[in-house]
Amino acid sequence: MKRVAIAGIGTTQFRSRWIEKTYFELAFDAVRAALDDAGMTRDRIGCVVYGIYNDFFERQFQPDLFVHDYLGLAPKPAIRVSTGGATGGSAISAGFAQVASGLYDVCLVVGVEKSADCFDYETGRSSPEVLKAISYTADMTYEQPTGRTAAGSFALTTIAHLEKYGNPTELQMAKVSVKNHTNALLNPVAQSPIALTVDDVMKSPMIAYPFKRFDNCLYSEGSAVLILVSEDVARTLKKPPVWITGIGAALDWAVIGNRKDLYSFESSRIAARKAYDMAGIRNPLEEIDLAELHDAFTGTELIAYEDCFFCDEGGGGRLIDEGVVGRGGKLPVNVSGGLIGCGHAVGATGIMQANEIVLHLRDEAGRRQIKNAKTGLVQSIGGPGAAWTVCLVLERDKG
Amino acid sequence: MNKQTFLKWAERNAKRIGVKKAQVLRAFEQEMTSPADPDAPFEIPDTMHINMRYSYGGQSRFFREILENRRILGARCTTCSKVFCPPRTHCPHCYAKTEWVELNGTGRVLSYTTVYFATSSAIKNVPYIVAYIRLDGADTAILSNVEMKDVRTAHVGMAVQVKFRKQRDGRITDIYFKEAS
Ligand SMILES: [Zn+2]
Repeated sequence: MKRVAIAGIGTTQFRSRWIEKTYFELAFDAVRAALDDAGMTRDRIGCVVYGIYNDFFERQFQPDLFVHDYLGLAPKPAIRVSTGGATGGSAISAGFAQVASGLYDVCLVVGVEKSADCFDYETGRSSPEVLKAISYTADMTYEQPTGRTAAGSFALTTIAHLEKYGNPTELQMAKVSVKNHTNALLNPVAQSPIALTVDDVMKSPMIAYPFKRFDNCLYSEGSAVLILVSEDVARTLKKPPVWITGIGAALDWAVIGNRKDLYSFESSRIAARKAYDMAGIRNPLEEIDLAELHDAFTGTELIAYEDCFFCDEGGGGRLIDEGVVGRGGKLPVNVSGGLIGCGHAVGATGIMQANEIVLHLRDEAGRRQIKNAKTGLVQSIGGPGAAWTVCLVLERDKG
Repeated sequence: MNKQTFLKWAERNAKRIGVKKAQVLRAFEQEMTSPADPDAPFEIPDTMHINMRYSYGGQSRFFREILENRRILGARCTTCSKVFCPPRTHCPHCYAKTEWVELNGTGRVLSYTTVYFATSSAIKNVPYIVAYIRLDGADTAILSNVEMKDVRTAHVGMAVQVKFRKQRDGRITDIYFKEAS
């Protein structure tokens, strides 16, 4: 297997609505930024992987076709990946395989998503119709008709975890919300930079018990792009390469009732373990300098600390209580603001998270730079109760 | 647009996408006048909608028994004897055929959530409980609604009993659960 580097990155702002741009126009902006960042022209691109989650969000089935046209990339080969919230992570994983196999030297990975064009005429709001579009990705026979939402699927597992371990408590979840909204204040592409207090979170309206309004990420629109290259190409470019040294993925039972247990995200544990084994990481808390974890909901982030082996099962709440995962802590989590602070433009999210780590590993993260960061972790999860997880270990070039 | 063009446009589009004209008028108020900037974003009412006749295939009997006979079935693997509800024609572990078994409709809540903010199809019903329920005699859990006077009294481990709606459509929501007395 060949080594694979991230050679260029581009991320548009994440916003609740990009009314002035279509999905293919958003992708164009991020692709151009990534090419500029890599110091590359588009004729060097060998193949493309598109990460786009929900066809309703784009008002277009097979939207990748029309992004490809808009980017002027015909007749380069391309595939589209769609794995719910993990779409971005899966797109990177698919692109990695293209380069690691030696099939292509340069693979463009494009994540993009709209959502707020979905509109509920009855309430005059987007969100209920956005949720409806998402609901069609739940099992249509047995589960979708019950009215379980995406938040509901993660709430079900969070409640089971709470029942087993006595956490995450609502207070611990509120602390995660405060951390991520506050972290977003330093991120220029973030959608929800808010100086929140624990009290604000605790008093916000219930969405799906035990998640309140501020425990949830918001749906975003935006695009994030990265360029994967082989070592030969990486050495010809101006910027230092960031290496993908570990990659792990799993797809658990999507009908959660088929799982052995409801209280942990098995896919996340398997994906993290595989990524660590490949990267040679034995003690993640000691060896990882920062992590971007999939905090679609605060409870999910707390469980992710356990699933990524930062602590034992049931110990996630302690890490937020003790400040381990804060900006100044031993292992800062979601310095970008995460999905809660930066936003969740689904197909783009996993790539946005990777791009955040790349900035830190190149010392380009400005005011939010984690000093001397050498190794970063990305966790990208999606589907009902984290059916899909992809974990990536990224490392700074040792020269 | 000028006002007259706008009103006709709203009426035609409301009809085309199947919503009320008043709702289009409310959502597109800004189109009543032409924007100062000709490049200002222009939005239109739209929809994506497909009608279907969906076959339940090998799951058909499960839904027919609920609709016609108020009976709830599981599917038992002819090799490992695991009972699946939701049912399936073949075991995912042994790949062997399953056979139908009747379940008595009692079970326990493995986990639940109470939904306070929902999709546009369900938002009228909030708050409502969605729970994974393991029916007695089954090895897997089925997602269903639990109806309670006070949703805040829901808890993991709660004993529940299946109920059948008076009017049944052949959908999974023909059944729901209540706390067992
Ligand atoms: Zn079997």
